[in-house]
Amino acid sequence: MSGRLLTFGLFLIFIVITLVITVWARATTRGADDFYAGGRAFSGPQNGLALAGDYMSAASFLGIAGIIALSGYDGFLYSIGFLVAWLLTLLLVELMRNAGRFTMADVLSYRARRQPAVRTAAAVSTVTVSVFYLLAQMVGAGALVSLLLGIHPGESFLGMSAGAAKVLTIIVVGMMMIFYVTYGGMKGTTWVQIIKAVLLMAGTLVLTLLVLGRFGFNLSEMLGAAARASGRSADFLRPGLRFGKEIDGDPLRTLINKLDFISLALALVLGTAGLPHIVSRFYTVPDARAARTSVNWAIGLVGLFYLMTLALGFGATAVVGQQAITAQDPTGNTAALQLAHSLGEFAGGPVGGDILLAFIGAVAFATILAVVSGLVLASSTSLAHDYFGHVLMLGRPRESQEVAVARFAAFLIGTVAVVLAVVARDLNVAFLVALAFAMAASANLPAIVLSLFWKRFNAAGAVAGIYGGLAGSLLLMALSPVVSGKVDPVTGASLSLLPAGIDFQLFPLENPGLVSIPFGFLCAVAGTLLSREKADPERYDELSVRALTGTGSHQTPRHRR
Amino acid sequence: MTGPATPGGDFAALASDRRFRLLRTRFRRLATTIVGSFLAWYFLYIALSAFARDFMARPALGHINVALLLGILQFASTFLLAWRYSRYARRKLDPISAQLRDEAAERRAERERQERVLAERRRIENWTPRHRRGSHR
Repeated sequence: MSGRLLTFGLFLIFIVITLVITVWARATTRGADDFYAGGRAFSGPQNGLALAGDYMSAASFLGIAGIIALSGYDGFLYSIGFLVAWLLTLLLVELMRNAGRFTMADVLSYRARRQPAVRTAAAVSTVTVSVFYLLAQMVGAGALVSLLLGIHPGESFLGMSAGAAKVLTIIVVGMMMIFYVTYGGMKGTTWVQIIKAVLLMAGTLVLTLLVLGRFGFNLSEMLGAAARASGRSADFLRPGLRFGKEIDGDPLRTLINKLDFISLALALVLGTAGLPHIVSRFYTVPDARAARTSVNWAIGLVGLFYLMTLALGFGATAVVGQQAITAQDPTGNTAALQLAHSLGEFAGGPVGGDILLAFIGAVAFATILAVVSGLVLASSTSLAHDYFGHVLMLGRPRESQEVAVARFAAFLIGTVAVVLAVVARDLNVAFLVALAFAMAASANLPAIVLSLFWKRFNAAGAVAGIYGGLAGSLLLMALSPVVSGKVDPVTGASLSLLPAGIDFQLFPLENPGLVSIPFGFLCAVAGTLLSREKADPERYDELSVRALTGTGSHQTPRHRR
Repeated sequence: MTGPATPGGDFAALASDRRFRLLRTRFRRLATTIVGSFLAWYFLYIALSAFARDFMARPALGHINVALLLGILQFASTFLLAWRYSRYARRKLDPISAQLRDEAAERRAERERQERVLAERRRIENWTPRHRRGSHR
């Protein structure tokens, strides 16, 4: 109980600090440059921390540690995909920073003869990707915070049951994120990300050092102990326990499983550069060089973090044990927290355990809040700047008007996300993260890459690519075993989202990327070639010159330098 | 919408500038090399994880097997490529783009100065003593 109060206290401290920052950010936020891009006044390292903060979600912190703890080596494949993807981002960041103003659509519509169509498509895609990702985080948050506070089904805390606590958590998290975004804009949100990234790195580092210390700082020793504790010996350390399962006597099923794994890997590596909340962070720095520096910082931090997931995951298996983990939460999401508790106990008795658990719990809570705020900000920016400013107001809105719309849009999207998350609170929506990556790679990436590098590309191609990629991945997901038709062969219970008995599964893979990403590119190319719209070589030259040299790019207002 | 505008003629001139073409060729060559190598290396690793599991399970150092070693090498190669790209960009791309950007800014400043002079001259030439008019509101 004392541990629970400590956790609660640390939550409150984090909330108070971030609220103070948000109120300060509100006082210094004046125009669109401030609200959407934090005044473009963040330094490369600061923005690098914020990028890492936006990217490392609770799903990666707790989720990957849990997957490694339960399925061994395969969980690490997520870590690798999530990191390698940043190389693509590094190559695109300067061009996007130079050519755009606030959003991805600024770059996509630059050469388009029909701006509104491209802007609308980009806004639809941005909001869809962000809301799906948001939903995954919010539902996760509900389950997580109840667990963090140690409220199990049947128990109560401050007079609440577990179910009520879950709903209340989702609502509180939603209110906080709406407040951060509507009040603090990009400036406030960036500082929340920076604090969260520092906390997360510190927490992970402490856990890693403690757990490696238990094994004499010998990685091999720890892996051996984890393999023994898992009861699967060396198999625990090789690929195949979770992804691309081999099924004896069924080569077709085996092949499908392996293709599914490759499909996931493809979406992870190509999705990052198209995630709207990452792209809108390119604009918070003064120029392209600072943007490059920030991505390099992000690569360093994200890389270090994902390397440490090895220690968290395998360490949890070795120290806590799989039975204890699944007893607490069958998906393994609490592995890192339980590891913190037992490491703390080992170092400083029961009090040490409570303190370390409370600290890591607060880190996880900060992680959730920061990531959902980044997502709400990105989608409200796109709605206000792209849809309201450039489509409804034909590119001539009053700046104050557009920012007011952005604040309202943040409120609206936040509210919708809260309602959806409360409705879906008991469903397993972890697949939505992979879906968001697949959508970003299928819809946004083709349009971004072709806009920058293909002279012939036009508005019809951009619109076709975005809607094609988006619809393709959504449709394939709807027809996949994730939604219907996957049944446990022993018990007959449904392993899909819909109950057993409803079966409209037509697509065998659980990850649509392998098909939907090429389909997105195909739609973009076909849309370009089939339309009668002429390309605009002059605008293309203009875009290339701007993107590569930074001529005429949006700079920090001089008085802030 | 497009920010501090540089008149179109300037972009056309820049786009056909020999130095700009060099900058573009260098960037494209570099980007193609990096994307090609990291995607090939990543998917080789993914393919090995999917189809060559016995190879991946071979012990390398104590309990560290080939799979884990290659996975950690993916991290190392990502850091290495990011560092190589940034170093190349700093040495071979940034100087050219800075030069082109500065020249364009100078040209723009010069043009604006001339326009100001012309505007001032027009104002002086068109100056006539102001007459009181009947309607004023």
